[in-house]
Amino acid sequence: MKKISVDPITRLEGHGKIEIFVNDAGEVANVYFQIPELRGFERFCVGRPVEELARITPRICGVCPEAHHMAASKAIDAVFGVEVAPAGLRLRELLYNAFFVTDHTTHFYILAGPDFVIGPTADPAERNILGIVHKVGLETASALINLRAEAAELITMIGGKQIHPVCGLPGGVSAAVTKEQQERMVQITTGFVEFAKFSLQLFDDVVLGNNDYVELIKSDAFTHQTYYMGMVDENNKVNFYDGKIRVTGPDGKELVKFEGKDYLDVIAEHVEPYSYLVYPYLKKVGWKGFVDGNDSGVYRASPLSRLNASDGMATPQAQAEYERFYSTLGGKPVHATLATHWARLVELLYAAERAHELATHPDLTDPNVRNIPTGIVGEGVGVVEAPRGTLYHHYKTDDKGMVTNVNLIVGTTNNNAAISMSLKKAAEGLIKGGTEISEGTLNMIEMAFRAYDPCFGCATHTLPGDMPLEVVTKSEATGEIIASAKRNM
Amino acid sequence: MTSTLVLGMGNPILSDDGVGLYVAERLQAGPMPDGVEIQQSEVAGLRLLELVKGYDKVVIVDALRSGREPGDIVRYEAREFKGGHRYGSAHSIGLHTALELGRQLGMPMPEDVTVFAVEAEDIETFGEEFSPPVAAAAERVIDLVRAEVDAG
Repeated sequence: MKKISVDPITRLEGHGKIEIFVNDAGEVANVYFQIPELRGFERFCVGRPVEELARITPRICGVCPEAHHMAASKAIDAVFGVEVAPAGLRLRELLYNAFFVTDHTTHFYILAGPDFVIGPTADPAERNILGIVHKVGLETASALINLRAEAAELITMIGGKQIHPVCGLPGGVSAAVTKEQQERMVQITTGFVEFAKFSLQLFDDVVLGNNDYVELIKSDAFTHQTYYMGMVDENNKVNFYDGKIRVTGPDGKELVKFEGKDYLDVIAEHVEPYSYLVYPYLKKVGWKGFVDGNDSGVYRASPLSRLNASDGMATPQAQAEYERFYSTLGGKPVHATLATHWARLVELLYAAERAHELATHPDLTDPNVRNIPTGIVGEGVGVVEAPRGTLYHHYKTDDKGMVTNVNLIVGTTNNNAAISMSLKKAAEGLIKGGTEISEGTLNMIEMAFRAYDPCFGCATHTLPGDMPLEVVTKSEATGEIIASAKRNM
Repeated sequence: MTSTLVLGMGNPILSDDGVGLYVAERLQAGPMPDGVEIQQSEVAGLRLLELVKGYDKVVIVDALRSGREPGDIVRYEAREFKGGHRYGSAHSIGLHTALELGRQLGMPMPEDVTVFAVEAEDIETFGEEFSPPVAAAAERVIDLVRAEVDAG
């Protein structure tokens, strides 16, 4: 029996790891996906004023600090039992959609793009952002850098700080924006919409225009019939900042729609001895192991899940793309994991359009951005959609508002069981007895998990939130390395 | 006159990972030669591009896990720097790649990028204290960075 480890090249200890075991016949026997443990997060938080959690929790992840800031702000609103002022709500949602624009474009161009624009089995030296620049031209790369800079400018105007926003306070935000700032925001968000449309066009040309890619996306090796989770507004349209959480089944039917505060009634956690990270599942359906189908409580929370769990997008151009997505891929729900990349771009267009709607709102500069809390409830749950899945923050405090208990379920954790299943199925589909396992093969297995845009930093409550990879084929008998392939991005 | 950026990187709530940020803070409090700026950053990747553009020289201070003794300090030039738990990344891009991308885009990228990496003992426990070897190393790195920027 041979063991293939997909090991991070990072020097961080306690790293994430993918291990593929191959039997004597050269077929995949099992795949293990492990994540390291980080210590002391709850202890670090207990005894602090709960307001501080909006500034502490963003630091557990270098990839989506804004998502933690928003989930924390909402949980803190609930702890104080205060309604958010409408002007504060608008600014929070605008900041949040600008963040989605940045995060989704970064994922597409830097993480997912190389697999498609350069090719899944291309030379890894070419399969990176520099390869993309070479292929799509300097102009596009400049536009990407410019978009990121402008999104950061908008986020800073509202958030106060660029990387770790500090604007969220119980009942609203810390400061209003000026008329001049609003004008600039309108300009910037106009650019968002253009760039989102351009990105969808690029996906059309490069991916949908290539039959091999379409076949790959639709292939069984990259398909799982699971439940899907996503936040929806009162019309069951996708919303990233607020709404109820809806779960639909592999058959497309609604299983449950619930308030964030009731998450513990819906989600339970399975544990495995080899992994520190829990496997959340739907209580109502139950844990049946790492299997898909109507009877398995495994669910996914991702851009694809949000589209599947909703009835559409709340903005017109994104809605048109939503319809095209399902008509092209054979109806709803779509179970193809790699279609998540397209779903992410549909969401990018929604985030851009929604940010533009909010930026042009006639009352955006309303100075009443905050309701001051007058009492304390002592417990609160805040939920937002992080780019990589539904994010739950749950805090308890004493009657002075000092933290006594913290529980988080982060985007990637939701997908832990599904990622494990996707890796195994892709490995089974791609590694056959007697064939050589190339770097390209292993990259395609990794594509199964890259589609989820996983962020282990936050799943394990730590930085850095990234997992560079080296693929190592080892002889299990001697431990000798037979072959290795680096993913050095 | 050449312009220099000293960039302290890390996470302030993950024990030894905060050492780069601390060094930057300490340097900020003391005198610095003309043309030297000091900044802190908690994230890397593409964002490095925006931070370093326009400077002739950049000196980065960060924590590292490489199997050396905790508190060991290693000086790298960017072109030989492959490690560091923050520079190679699935979600962002490496330092070397970021600099190359910036050059291709015609952004003014620093010619000279030096990294002082402090071997960490613990970057897995939430906390605001350094381990004793890293606390001692922080003082030495401060001197090393001062010498580096004084040398121009």
